[in-house]
Amino acid sequence: MSRRLLMMCMSLLSLGGLVHCSKSPPEGAQPAPATAPAAVAAPKVTALTVIQEQQASWVRNFNPLLAPGNARWPTRAGIYEPLMIYNTLKGEFVPWLAVKHEWSADNKKLTLSVRPGVKWSDGQPFTARDVAFTFELLKKHKALDFSAVWAFLDGVQVKDDATVEFSLVRPYVPGLVYILHQPIVPEHKWKDVADPVTFTNETPVATGPFTEVKVFQNQIFELGRNPHYWQPGKPAVQSLRFPAYPGNDQANMALLTGELDWAGSFVPDIERVYVAKDKENNHYWFPLVGNTTTLYVNTAKKPFDDVRVRKAISMAIDRDQIVKVAMYGYTRPADATALSDAHKNWHNPKALESGDWTKLDVAKANALLDEAGYKRGEDGVRMTPDKQPMRYEINVVTGWSDWVRASQLIGQHLKQLGIDATLKTYDFSPYFERLQKGEFDMSMGWTSEEPTPYHFYRGLMGSETLRPIGEIAAHNWNRFASKEADELLRAFEGTNDAAEQKKLAGQMQELFVQNAPAIPLFPGPSWGEYNTRRFTNFPSASNPYAKLTPNSSPENLFLMVEVKPK
Amino acid sequence: MRHLLRNLALYAVAAWASLTLNFLIPRLMPGDPASTMFARFRGQLQPEAIDALRVAFGFTNEPLYKQYFTYVVHLFQGDLGLSVAYFPAKVTDVIATGLGWTLLLAGAAVIISFALGTTLGVVATWRRGGWLDSVLPPVLVFLGAFPYFWLAMVLLYVLGFNLGAFPLRHAYDDALAPAFSGEFILSVVQHMMLPASAIVIATLGGWMLSMRSTMVGVLSEDYITMANAKGLSQGRIMFHYAARNALLPNVTGFGMALGFVLSGSLLTEIVFSYPGQGYLLIQAVRNQDYPLMQGIFLTITLAVLGANLLVDILYVWLDPRTRTR
Repeated sequence: MSRRLLMMCMSLLSLGGLVHCSKSPPEGAQPAPATAPAAVAAPKVTALTVIQEQQASWVRNFNPLLAPGNARWPTRAGIYEPLMIYNTLKGEFVPWLAVKHEWSADNKKLTLSVRPGVKWSDGQPFTARDVAFTFELLKKHKALDFSAVWAFLDGVQVKDDATVEFSLVRPYVPGLVYILHQPIVPEHKWKDVADPVTFTNETPVATGPFTEVKVFQNQIFELGRNPHYWQPGKPAVQSLRFPAYPGNDQANMALLTGELDWAGSFVPDIERVYVAKDKENNHYWFPLVGNTTTLYVNTAKKPFDDVRVRKAISMAIDRDQIVKVAMYGYTRPADATALSDAHKNWHNPKALESGDWTKLDVAKANALLDEAGYKRGEDGVRMTPDKQPMRYEINVVTGWSDWVRASQLIGQHLKQLGIDATLKTYDFSPYFERLQKGEFDMSMGWTSEEPTPYHFYRGLMGSETLRPIGEIAAHNWNRFASKEADELLRAFEGTNDAAEQKKLAGQMQELFVQNAPAIPLFPGPSWGEYNTRRFTNFPSASNPYAKLTPNSSPENLFLMVEVKPK
Repeated sequence: MRHLLRNLALYAVAAWASLTLNFLIPRLMPGDPASTMFARFRGQLQPEAIDALRVAFGFTNEPLYKQYFTYVVHLFQGDLGLSVAYFPAKVTDVIATGLGWTLLLAGAAVIISFALGTTLGVVATWRRGGWLDSVLPPVLVFLGAFPYFWLAMVLLYVLGFNLGAFPLRHAYDDALAPAFSGEFILSVVQHMMLPASAIVIATLGGWMLSMRSTMVGVLSEDYITMANAKGLSQGRIMFHYAARNALLPNVTGFGMALGFVLSGSLLTEIVFSYPGQGYLLIQAVRNQDYPLMQGIFLTITLAVLGANLLVDILYVWLDPRTRTR
């Protein structure tokens, strides 16, 4: 009996296996012609297909008060909306849920007028009360206040339904961006939420252009339009679709098959790989408005406390080669102010002119080191005055190929100086811990990405961000502080006058150029690709109304309301 | 029965040991989860918020033994905690998004591979020296030497991307909603074809060779000669006399393979954007998401133990000797 059973099982199994393997490929091949063109001519013409987050399966969460990455994109800017949006390309705040902001004379009070006639997606009116409520929530739950507005805020007061007033503990004008960019939640829904920190907000009620969760499955979700959206006739797109792609390779493949309409991926050699496949419809735009990729040197350690060493290292680096080899020519060499095109309007020509240490000049770099007393040893490696050979490690993240290639090149360049710099790769987490704790000689890194150069230089030479070695520092990984910088930063915090701000930012640039506290390599491109087969009116070099990339919230809102079906 | 009971005690000890390791190993990794989290925002997050986040995530500086105690207590309540990478989703919910698909894909692949490989082994040995016996083993061993994910990439590129014969990603068509309809099931099968083939091709050789080597031994046994002398049909001798006795080592292997199903198909899943556990595990490691890592390792551990228990039971039925002992 049991034998017969076994026999049956065996034959069934083998039969099943054989049938499965021999028969199924033709079975699969039949519907194939249908699926392949289907991928090319997307299933729904009205849905804009986007990738921003890389995931293998979606977890439902639309809580806009959580840090980005925890809630599904575009919860913070798309479902919910901020008060105003900074347009990096234009260099100005664009009124959104608030129409006007005004500082008091002493810059300690900020008054916002909210937009009249805005409705939540359930039809209730949006008022200044919702704004105050949102900020009170952040005060009560510190884990939601990740731009730390309550570090400088004293209170929020509703003046009337259309006006809200923020009082600050000290004049802090650069804090404006954190207030204006805060997504606002409806009081009538959120006052009953027990714990907003662990709330997943599965059916959002919001003011944004896309508020209806039409589909939510493990590998795809779709957001439909807000019936009460305050911009008449917008958005023109019916819905946003988000298929799950676990990585860059999968996302890039979807770009090539034409499935994706909008992406912000890094695509190597994009002209050949992407544009050449369909010249008419495949487009990209990589404006240099990202943060600056920087070689950090640990100025708390010898010999990097010596400005001549820092400048010499910088002068020996062939940035043109790095840009070409490591970055496919997508960017240009950084200048000595380290600012990217995001801060174009702030550039100080005097600082630029005096900043010669980002230009390749190996002879001058060698002369500088000779003069400073770093003599070459017998093996060609220089010795510091206290007889240490100049052998250092460059901290890099495993698998970040652009950084890895760049630091390999830097290693070669520094050989000409008699400095032996070798690449040391770590997984992201240990890499970042070393960077933050100052446990490195040289390290690749990035800079802050905020509207004014204030934040930029505060993180590179302000003493407020300085921590001793071994303690985690959120910025200032180069561990450099200067009294002059502090004074300039303090003055900047207290002024609302554009001309004065520009003057102070100019002085910060001069200070940076003088001290070379970090070694800028190249400004980061802001990645963005789009396909015009189904939709038009994407931002581009010829129509630069906003950043193209979906990766820089809340600026993606500009695109969401402007893109149109063909 | 005593044999089974004794084994059960052993399984309990093994389960406890692996639970403890699950707890310890992630904590021995360098780096800490809050700063990794901070890093993901590349400076968009202000330092003041980190401490608050640490508290929200439930990171404590409690001594390890206390954390261990809480961990075990929560585990018995079925509470695996909140995931850090997918905060504030429950670890159980996060795992639920992928577990079923991984089980389906890898389970199907392992069963097909086992059944097909074993049968091929039986048939090839029975006709020793035939073309099946001389051609297949070297070819399959050659194919088996490739890693799963490499085969997966080749299949994806050639059959999926270039020829367009198969879907490039996901477990079912994006336009469908999961349902027990013919259309949906067909779509699932179609999407499974390439990833499952990658695993089957890579593992087929192992099953065939191990079956072949034990079959060779069994075929020289006296009872086979006896069965032949009795004039039994060839099929009966092949399957009832030879294959049944030669199957035991392969069944053991099957138990192990079923267990590794959850971890083994990891890279294949990523290549095909399959919404399984593979990516979750990588995400967990990247973000130092201890609770999620523990949860995933727990499912893998339980799968390995469960599969081995199944094999033990199967053994009692397949091999009369275990019943008399």
